[in-house]
Amino acid sequence: MLLFLIFPLFSGVIMSLQETTFAGDVTFVGLKNFRLLFREARFLNNLKLSLIYVLGNLSFSIPLAYIASLIITSQDMRGLPILRGVFLLPFITAPVVSSVIFLSLTDASNGPITLLIEKLTGERPVILATPSLAMWTIIFHSFWRSFPFIMLFLAAGMTAIPNELYEAAKVDGATPWHLFRFITFPLTRIHLALSMLIITMWTVQDAETVFALTRGGPGYSTEVLAVRLFKDSFINFNLNLGATVGVILLGISLLFMVAYLRLMRER
Amino acid sequence: MWKWVVVALISFFCLAPLLWGLKVSIAPQYDTSLIPRRFTSEHYRYIFSRPEFFQYLKNSVVVSLGTVAFALPLSLLGGYALARFNFPGKQFSFLFLVFPLLPLIAVLVPLVSFLNRLGLYNKLSALIVVNTVFNLPLTVWMLRNFIMEVPAEIEEAALVDGCSRIEALLRISVPLMIPGLVAATVFIFITTWNNYLYASALITKPSLRVLPQGILAFIGTWGTYWGGLTAAGIVTIIPPLTLFLLFQRWFIAGLFGQMLK
Repeated sequence: MLLFLIFPLFSGVIMSLQETTFAGDVTFVGLKNFRLLFREARFLNNLKLSLIYVLGNLSFSIPLAYIASLIITSQDMRGLPILRGVFLLPFITAPVVSSVIFLSLTDASNGPITLLIEKLTGERPVILATPSLAMWTIIFHSFWRSFPFIMLFLAAGMTAIPNELYEAAKVDGATPWHLFRFITFPLTRIHLALSMLIITMWTVQDAETVFALTRGGPGYSTEVLAVRLFKDSFINFNLNLGATVGVILLGISLLFMVAYLRLMRER
Repeated sequence: MWKWVVVALISFFCLAPLLWGLKVSIAPQYDTSLIPRRFTSEHYRYIFSRPEFFQYLKNSVVVSLGTVAFALPLSLLGGYALARFNFPGKQFSFLFLVFPLLPLIAVLVPLVSFLNRLGLYNKLSALIVVNTVFNLPLTVWMLRNFIMEVPAEIEEAALVDGCSRIEALLRISVPLMIPGLVAATVFIFITTWNNYLYASALITKPSLRVLPQGILAFIGTWGTYWGGLTAAGIVTIIPPLTLFLLFQRWFIAGLFGQMLK
């Protein structure tokens, strides 16, 4: 742990403060890398896209996860582990494989999603070459992959709620919406926050599916932070800049973490 | 009634992309219909006729099994120490749950240059080590909880009878926590098998690529030959899927039950 996590963490911070020339000389340059990045329009765009990517994923995943978990935990549905298994399939599919499948779904000449859009709008788009549609694709793809995870967390929380609570509320004349709003939601709050935290972390650092789907393109229109890091360090071999992005990414994740933990503590 | 409609819709949503992948992999290349009239194994025959595909498959098996063999004993011992011993700093053990959440991609750059200096660049063993380390926190925590469910008194009785600590652990506790060990094994195998990132950072030699890397490389060279690509994808899904289906109950209970503790 120490060797592989703490040590790289520190040397990462140090690398982010250095600059390597083509001859291989390493010099200390202070915060130059950070200044360079924050003045760059491309980097600010990376930041913005990362936020959109995370928020987009969560705002689709959470409602569906609630619906799905309400169903798999409801009285007449219990004892249907098959459903749970089916709902979990996206979660265990290798990211690269689901990316390939989504690539073929959005294929420009005969991908079914392309053809569906053509039927609806009369125009045949080249989905992954259109900035906005490309962004939708990566969000949709990560939504498909992450909602089962949130669903299982919520379902675990819901099975722990005693049935008497619902029955008492029904006697008092509560509507289904009331039941959800005043019993289910507050009592699964911690599960929600925890699973949101985990999914946020996974989405923030997700480079591989975005890279496999769009390579950050067209242009830089889907280049989230993690993809930027990946490209800088392992394709362009600018390790110092990569490390700098890494440090910023870590900072952002810590911010998210503290925010969610706050959310859980309150009330 | 409406519940079943929603269930059907969600199941469709989960399954449709996978079924589409399956369909593309068994339909003739230019068949664009949703349900093909004719099935073919040509794409599968094609990928298995490529020596590099076998190479990737073999590397993936080596790395995944290697990681399981390496990580499982370590997490068992780590979990045992956390569950049974008192030592300074134990109150920080919740960090085992926080570490796996941090974006590991951020420490990847320094880690790679570090492994490079150790001469471990472009070696499958390095990939096994990295996968082990990044799997450990969660599996240690999982097994810790499973060990805590085994009453310490049984082990103490064995110690009195002259067993060593290791013997007591292996003979008494391990048989009682098979579900936990299976869950940990399946978890380690699936995450390692599916992982692309560490491999792409550590392996550049084509003959050492693992499957996800191989598939990404195929995208580059095959363009839109979807039949071959999806066939390779389906082959890649099969091992994790089989494990998941076989041990679904234990895997879900182990993974999600433990994370919530």
